[in-house]
Amino acid sequence: MTSTIIMPQLGETVTEGKVLAWFKSVGDEIKEGDNLFEVETDKVTIEVQAVVAGRLSEIRVAPGATAKVGDVVAVVGGDVAAKARVQAESPAAKALLWRSPFEEVSTPTDRFGPSKGPNGVRITPLARRLIAQHGIDAARLAADAERRSVTKVDEAAVRAAIAERPSEPSTAPAVVVPPPTPTPPPAPEGGVISLNAVRQRTGERLTENWRTIPHVFQAIEVDFTRVDRVRGSRKAEFRAAHGISLTFLPFIARAACLALSAYPQVNARFDGKALILSRDVNLGIAVDLGHNGLVVPIVREAGALTAIGLARAIRRQIDKAKAGKLSADDFSGATYSISNNGAFGTAFTVPIINAPQVGILSTDAIRLKPAVVSTPEGDFLAPRMIGIVGQSFDHRAFDGAYSAAFLSRIKLILETRNWDEEFPSEL
Amino acid sequence: MASVKDATAPNDRLRNDDIGLERRLELFRLQVEIRDCEKRAHDLFLQNMIKGTSHLSLGQEAVAAGFGVAMRKGDKSFCTYRGHAHTLARGASMEGMLGELMLRDIGLMRGKGGSMHLTSVEHGVLGSYAIIGAHLPIACGSAWRAQYLGEKDVSVCFFGDGTTNIGAFHEALNFAAVWKLPVVFVCENNLYMEYTPISDVTAVKHPAADRAAAYGLERIVVDGNDADVVYRTALAALEMARDGGGPSLIECLTYRHSGHSRADPAKYRPPGELEEWLKRDPVVIYRERLRDFGVNQATIDAVEAESKRKVEAATEACKASPPAPVELLTADVYADGGWAWRN
Amino acid sequence: MAELTYRDAVARGIAQEMERDERVVFLGEDIGKAGGVFKTTVGLYEKFGPRRVRDTPISEQAILGAAMGAAMTGLRPIAEIMFADFLAVCFDYVANQMSKLRYMSNGQLACPLVIRTGNGGGVRFGAQHSQAVENWTMMIPGVKVVAPSSPMDVIGLMAAAVRDPDPVIFHEHKALYAIKGEVPDGEIVDRLGTAKILRPGHDCTIVALALMVPRALAAAEILQREHGVDAEVIDVRSLVPLDTQTILGSVAKTGRLFTVEENPRLCGWGAEIASIVADEAFWDLDGPIVRITTPHIPLPAADHLEDLALPSASRIVDKVCRVLNG
Repeated sequence: MTSTIIMPQLGETVTEGKVLAWFKSVGDEIKEGDNLFEVETDKVTIEVQAVVAGRLSEIRVAPGATAKVGDVVAVVGGDVAAKARVQAESPAAKALLWRSPFEEVSTPTDRFGPSKGPNGVRITPLARRLIAQHGIDAARLAADAERRSVTKVDEAAVRAAIAERPSEPSTAPAVVVPPPTPTPPPAPEGGVISLNAVRQRTGERLTENWRTIPHVFQAIEVDFTRVDRVRGSRKAEFRAAHGISLTFLPFIARAACLALSAYPQVNARFDGKALILSRDVNLGIAVDLGHNGLVVPIVREAGALTAIGLARAIRRQIDKAKAGKLSADDFSGATYSISNNGAFGTAFTVPIINAPQVGILSTDAIRLKPAVVSTPEGDFLAPRMIGIVGQSFDHRAFDGAYSAAFLSRIKLILETRNWDEEFPSEL
Repeated sequence: MASVKDATAPNDRLRNDDIGLERRLELFRLQVEIRDCEKRAHDLFLQNMIKGTSHLSLGQEAVAAGFGVAMRKGDKSFCTYRGHAHTLARGASMEGMLGELMLRDIGLMRGKGGSMHLTSVEHGVLGSYAIIGAHLPIACGSAWRAQYLGEKDVSVCFFGDGTTNIGAFHEALNFAAVWKLPVVFVCENNLYMEYTPISDVTAVKHPAADRAAAYGLERIVVDGNDADVVYRTALAALEMARDGGGPSLIECLTYRHSGHSRADPAKYRPPGELEEWLKRDPVVIYRERLRDFGVNQATIDAVEAESKRKVEAATEACKASPPAPVELLTADVYADGGWAWRN
Repeated sequence: MAELTYRDAVARGIAQEMERDERVVFLGEDIGKAGGVFKTTVGLYEKFGPRRVRDTPISEQAILGAAMGAAMTGLRPIAEIMFADFLAVCFDYVANQMSKLRYMSNGQLACPLVIRTGNGGGVRFGAQHSQAVENWTMMIPGVKVVAPSSPMDVIGLMAAAVRDPDPVIFHEHKALYAIKGEVPDGEIVDRLGTAKILRPGHDCTIVALALMVPRALAAAEILQREHGVDAEVIDVRSLVPLDTQTILGSVAKTGRLFTVEENPRLCGWGAEIASIVADEAFWDLDGPIVRITTPHIPLPAADHLEDLALPSASRIVDKVCRVLNG
């Protein structure tokens, strides 16, 4: 009687294996448990033991060759020409190889997060999978829906939001976008977007921050007309000198750094018990990676930089981020962050704080609006460059009045500072 | 085997022998081989070489041998769990039979059926059925096929006295009689249904024969320990069935030398009963018969020695046989060879 | 193309196979001269004669045993067990004999036969002539089990069953005998082990069998019209082999599964499907799998009680709405 040695199933999804080596030769006597051959699959390299004893009478798959799972790789016992009952190798054997008799039903091995979401909300298996695969914020879903469970019905709305993201601000910040103006939901089978690693990590971090930090958002209207004038007059020479355009962002960043020195509690980290003030301003700038994720590289010691210095430093970090050249050093140690959503005309954005920081500034569209201007001659209606600067802050760190005073200081700096001083005369 | 000429001295009794010496030697050989094989099965139990259960035909060899010799190639046998003897009697090998009892790859069904389900289609053994009575209707179906297709084979169904009290027995007899099917029902009345005397639980004295009239069949009771008697009775019934005369029900009186199964020491038997029946041991009877017919001792010894040698060789072959490959676990549940029930 | 009743489809299906293959023979109680107690076999005796269409005594064991013996030795018998409840009388043949023959004999013997039987309730016959017992047979390794819901499927699946090399239990539904359906002319041969999506939908999957199929379809129409629920309805047709891919594919689309079963709840066929889906389609499930079944009771004879017991279109609608909107 002969027995056959088959290529074993070395993993759920493994379909074939490459024989690397045989430890026995044809004619060798083998015992149960002897190492017979070594197999390499896309998952593992493993030594296969004999489950039958006898003389190895035939090797059918030579070293270096590949065999499908279930294929006979060797024959043990008897001489092969004997009246071997080949029934086991007939269609019978083949039919039973397609599924193990002990796996008549296959259990998926994937994991997509816990079934209990934030606030004890139950999340269906499908919703869990979609949430994980699309980087959706379960906490927000749960809070929005005020339901006992999250299902794919809720999911559809969020998927719509994600599908809409390409038309959202370009330096999309650490933000969960508010429900967009009504957009048609995507077709139910609009495809599956797998999350890249960046987006997955971002999602996990945002979820945690949104869930654990008591966010408060405040915003203030700022007249950027003076800034705009300076920007307009310096634009051409700045581009000529540095090869980049001069945006509002460096001015806002500069104003924020100046204000932070006056309001140090904003430039701090909260460890759950105490607020630890930071000496330097390490400014995080949210950078959208062409809708493929969001990073917040840091401009170190930003408080020491002028508007021009900030403009160049920010540009450098954005370029590095987009080229995928940021190092771990570029991410760690931010003390305060700015998210800039201005390019797409949004009015204001509520950003999520990046713990252990306690605040994040948001800036949106700056455009001409009719405004009331007070002069000694009286109040006039005039076209001015108006934009909204807002901040999400951790209410555990300080209160609304402190935040309001900080925002007010930024407004004052932006509206009244002599910005020409920021530009050296040689320019 | 020795030729008839070599085997005998001149003897008047041979002149008008309807059976003939060649068949007699065959009847003897079968009984001896069955006896030796069953004894070996018993011994292998004691050595733990046979697992599960087993039901021996020690003492009932004449029924199997008588029918085995009378049946033609192509006739079909349907047996019960006490079917080792009938399987051997149709020509299946000792290796196949003992190997199946030992649940080895060499077994008739490679260990998938076990002792109670011996099957050897190539020898016309269309299965051994272990639910009492179930195979009587099945034998009817086989006989119906022969009738329908105009084929000349006969289906023979062996069962014990206990079977006569189950519904399928009565359904099958009526069915076979009404359809005039070429089937022979053979009741081996060994006096015990399992552990209980059949007379304690049956309304009539002869559990099979006394029911025959209810189905318009002849009442037939024969000495089941005399292979010649069984052979002659079998031949007549087979011929009648082959000729379109319909079914027969034959009750063969016999006795089980051992218990019902491996687990049964047969303590319930009254003292002396076994001893009485051992005096009528079919193998002993037939050995004497051969001597009466002038068969010389050397020929008898040669048959017995050859049987022992075959049993020995078969046992060794079985011991050397590996267990069946594990692939058989799921083989042949469905016609595609596997067991798949879903896509 | 002709309109045919489910009842007449049975006779046409058998006739199609008997004409094709001389080995196909037919036996059962009152099937010949009488044309069957449900008139499902009218005309067969006249057409094929008493040699091939054989009336038997009331001997269910003899019927199945004889069919089995004939199948083992070369015929292709079709045996009728008048009411599916009577399978209990001859269950040894289904559960122990024909099912295990091939395996026990290590492939030496085969048993290609069809047992057709009148299954299911809704006809006021009381507990011993009404139960849907498809789940009894489904659990036995070695037999195949089908239950058609339309005249067309009766013919096609009958042909597939007769031609199949394994024993097939063919559950006809008594309450469907009178329904009509379009059936094309000529030979019809279907495949065992194939479910059919009878109504595509996106919101949930409803899996049904036999009499429950038209009820599931009716429920789906109401769900669409009155509740805006777009249900996909699948006719399982074949319990063994089971077309799980069609069901799993549907659940991947809809995220929700309902089974509608006439058999009493415990160990009903839907439980196996629910188990497979809960396992393999776990990450597609957007809510619990729900089984709608007859309760764990024998069926009463009284019409209002029997109607209450069997899943109805309105019960399906109600359950689906409560589960989806709850």
